[in-house]
Amino acid sequence: MSELAIELSQVTKRFGPKVAVNAVSLAIPQGQVYGLIGPNGAGKTTAFSMMCGFLHPTAGTLQVMGVPPTTPGALKGKLGALPQDALLPAGWEVGELLTYWARLSGLPQPEREARENLEKVGLAEAWFTPTEALSHGMAKRTAMAQALMGQPPLVLLDEPTAGLDPRIAAHVRQLIRDMKGRQTVVVSSHNLQELEELCDAAAILDRGTLVKAGTMSELTGQGAEFRVQIARGEVIPPELTQLPGVTSAKMESPGVLLVRFDGQAHKPEEVISRTVAHLLQTGVLILGVSRGQKLEERVLQIL
Amino acid sequence: MPGTLDGLKEIAVIWSAETLRAVRSARTLVLLGLYTLFSLATLLVVAALISSASGSMVLTQELTEIPPVILGVFKVNLFFLPVYVALMGFDQISGEVGTRSIRYITVRARLSSLLLGKFLVQASLLVGLVLVIDVGIFLYARYSHPNFTLSAMALSLVKVWLATLVFSLAYVALTTFCSSLFRSSGLSLVFNFALVIGFLLMELVGWYYKDKSFIEYIRYLSPSYYSSDLLSPVLSEFGRSGLTYAGITLLFLGGAYGVLRARDL
Repeated sequence: MSELAIELSQVTKRFGPKVAVNAVSLAIPQGQVYGLIGPNGAGKTTAFSMMCGFLHPTAGTLQVMGVPPTTPGALKGKLGALPQDALLPAGWEVGELLTYWARLSGLPQPEREARENLEKVGLAEAWFTPTEALSHGMAKRTAMAQALMGQPPLVLLDEPTAGLDPRIAAHVRQLIRDMKGRQTVVVSSHNLQELEELCDAAAILDRGTLVKAGTMSELTGQGAEFRVQIARGEVIPPELTQLPGVTSAKMESPGVLLVRFDGQAHKPEEVISRTVAHLLQTGVLILGVSRGQKLEERVLQIL
Repeated sequence: MPGTLDGLKEIAVIWSAETLRAVRSARTLVLLGLYTLFSLATLLVVAALISSASGSMVLTQELTEIPPVILGVFKVNLFFLPVYVALMGFDQISGEVGTRSIRYITVRARLSSLLLGKFLVQASLLVGLVLVIDVGIFLYARYSHPNFTLSAMALSLVKVWLATLVFSLAYVALTTFCSSLFRSSGLSLVFNFALVIGFLLMELVGWYYKDKSFIEYIRYLSPSYYSSDLLSPVLSEFGRSGLTYAGITLLFLGGAYGVLRARDL
């Protein structure tokens, strides 16, 4: 599982004068659930579309499952994709469309595959529904079903829960969780809480540029910082920096102490315990301790 | 070799599924109905013209086996078949690129398979339709020419059917090419019509300047120029004409593939 599922090297995509993705380099290991984060216009969908082979990069190189994604037929059976803005073709019933696509993917039991995956997304009853009669949410789930057919080793999902009601969105999140460890999943989303919950790692894009990439723990600082909510007592930060592993300590706001530590050399539980013990010894009363930051807070800080 | 086999399988899957969808669609049925009505109208007009000026139609000696009414309908059909083909298939690719539904296909099949599969859908519809219309016209010819033997009728039917198909396939490929050029189906249709009209003008201008100026050679650029030998009883002439149309078909299909490979989807 150490091989790369996706590798972008200095990838740039221009649409006329507009640079949608600018010299982005990224490596996504196999077996991970990986998030693409960024505001509107950050280049997430463009990067996603290049990974699927829908768009040609203007410069740089891409490898998806070891091959350039625009090579004809190279990703067949290896990639399932949920494009954000692709409409389902008209003139089909959902069941026959999925069966057709499953057959085209070369799956051994196309109809069974179509039925099972439609059931997975909670749409078994839509088998005979014409595609043009589907609501937005149903169309999204149908598109999700086609991405899951055949359990491809790599699944790319662009905004998989956008426009879905909370119950269905939770169901889709569960489907992604179920793929964890067995398939590589790349998820692009605006919902940072969702990504924090689902992803092992993520890349943050802004205006086409890669701002930061790393494991979720690195991005949220869980492995390198924690906050202590102070109820009462005087905190003396310089005393805390003398503790093993602590690299800095400061009052972030009244009643909130931010401690950063060397997460590589010291285990978080040891540093946190030592710090809390020291505070208690000096008469400080504590309301709570939280590791890192919410992904949303971190992203807002970065962008 | 496994890649080629896989490609052929993809083409077969796309062709069978998309043909089924096409024959169910209201647009295809309407166009088939219009084509039938137009052919019927052409048959009536040509039959009336021939009977009012009997014997005045200039035909080559070699074509006398086929009744003049059939030749007349065949020649008129060659004028409007390109328009009909354009109306039938103008959105076969652009309709999928514009809505981006092509993305669901390209992750599971090669672009060449998609292109050939779609081309074959249009070709199959034409094969069936042209056969039905031709059989109808030949039955009329048999009724109006009692000395038109069954064996001659069968042979002529195959000849006319093949000639129409060879000609039409080049225009199906042209429509596939035009459909690959644009995201908007409307633009594909307009461009397709512009090319069809352009080819017609080239042929007319070429004939007008015949033996007058080098401009006469412009008619060689028009696919319909090569249709004159399609009903020739001399096999080599038919073969030459057929091969030219096969070349034109390949040229447009190759162009469509090149465009699709190079463009963003």
